[in-house]
Amino acid sequence: MKSLTIRNLSKTYFDLYAGTNHTAIHDVSLEVAEGDFVAVVGPSGCGKSTILNMIAGFIPLSGGEILVGGRPVKGPGPDRGVVFQSFALFPWKTVLENVAFGPKMRGVGKAEREAIAREYLALAKLTEAANRYPNELSGGMQQRVGVVRALANNPDVLLMDEPFASVDAQTRMTLQEELTRIWQEKRPTVLFITHDVGEAVFLANRVVVLSKGRVLDDIGIDLPRPRSWDALNEDADFKALSNRVLQLVRSA
Amino acid sequence: MTILFKSWHHYLRLTQRFPSVGSIVPFIPVVALWWLVTALELFPRVFLPGPGDVLRSFGSLVYKGILPDYLQDSMVRLAVGAFCGIALGIPLGILIGMSRHAHTALWPVLLFFQAIGDIAWLPILVIWFGYGLVSMTFVIVYTVIFPVVLNTVLGVRSIPIAMHRAALSLGASRWQVLWEVVLPGALPNIVTGLRNGLGYGWRALIAAEIIVGTSGIGFLMFDARRAGSTVEILLGMIILGILWYIVDSWILAPIERATGQRWGLVSK
Repeated sequence: MKSLTIRNLSKTYFDLYAGTNHTAIHDVSLEVAEGDFVAVVGPSGCGKSTILNMIAGFIPLSGGEILVGGRPVKGPGPDRGVVFQSFALFPWKTVLENVAFGPKMRGVGKAEREAIAREYLALAKLTEAANRYPNELSGGMQQRVGVVRALANNPDVLLMDEPFASVDAQTRMTLQEELTRIWQEKRPTVLFITHDVGEAVFLANRVVVLSKGRVLDDIGIDLPRPRSWDALNEDADFKALSNRVLQLVRSA
Repeated sequence: MTILFKSWHHYLRLTQRFPSVGSIVPFIPVVALWWLVTALELFPRVFLPGPGDVLRSFGSLVYKGILPDYLQDSMVRLAVGAFCGIALGIPLGILIGMSRHAHTALWPVLLFFQAIGDIAWLPILVIWFGYGLVSMTFVIVYTVIFPVVLNTVLGVRSIPIAMHRAALSLGASRWQVLWEVVLPGALPNIVTGLRNGLGYGWRALIAAEIIVGTSGIGFLMFDARRAGSTVEILLGMIILGILWYIVDSWILAPIERATGQRWGLVSK
């Protein structure tokens, strides 16, 4: 695991209909320390997914630089694992093959990569589902696969793009708790994008509030771990922090 | 009424246990009707022979070795068409589906040549290649290739961009993306294209055999017309139907089921 540094990142689109340039991201700088968990929260259209897509290398930057472990990155690469809102599992591969995909791409032999995949499936309590196809699983289980598929490739940084936005509320709480547990066990460097304030405060060590392509505030979350919804739902600190972030997002 | 429903229900269960029953039984009423019409001599026997006559003709043509030869010729041509359609159509479809430049350059040309359907080429082909194998192979390859290309393009383009991104951020190279994501992702559409293409190709082949052939089922039928043998014409027609039924439901449809439906890409 390594640190993630974003310096003076900007993104300008040419708006075909208006015929003018539109700046989506203005001069965003952000540092995620090695093994840290940072959530970026903001209303839709604030540019949070654009930032993630630039870090992942899916879209080009207009300005600034992105460093992983101090080295600049260009284009998508296995150093930055991505968990997608749409899961993006390969429907023609079994759960095991999906999780073993990253190691397979770098030439790890079949027995070894399947051993890696099984280890990570066990981490997400998915051992039973190993030989099933993604369309045979519930949304919550599919995204568990999505998370461990990224982790099994041992990335330097884990980028999560609203990963739990398309599962039902109960499943989402379970997935959030599992993510905090897995994070504590593996300590990956995580950048987590969400529009859900409660989710951001629950998961992260730091919450960055984004508005109109600018960083509005950066709030430390010093809630004790392990975190569970049973404990935090009525917790005064959690409520105070959530309210503070919510006010910022609403003022944005 | 309830007896009818009950027996229908039994029949459905039977077809599930023995699928071959389901592919034979529906033809019983058709053959029975045919037999009835000929037995009542509604048309002169010379114009409409009965099932028995056709069966006898089948026996004698098999015995003489003509039918197996012609059958083989037609099937080999279909196989060559399928092979060339796959070998040319899939790479072309993937190229056009993945590259905007290739799409811009090739798509209009593709649509233009698609419009000049199969046998419209025959007049010029006969002048170029004469009557025979080259002209027929050209027609069937030509017919197979378009549905394969168009469906492959559709398949490639229907793969969500997140799937490409997932593969790339898991460390896949461009070639690995092609092999691990694009091909399997487009496969259900490719199979559908192949199924359509071979269906059209089969019909085009018979037409070509009738017009320029020197052997094959189409030629058999046309030759029979010259001899005034309605029995052999009907036999040819029946063989066409049976052959396609076998190719489609025993080979192509199972492939389609094993890919798209299994993966949940196509609804059952």
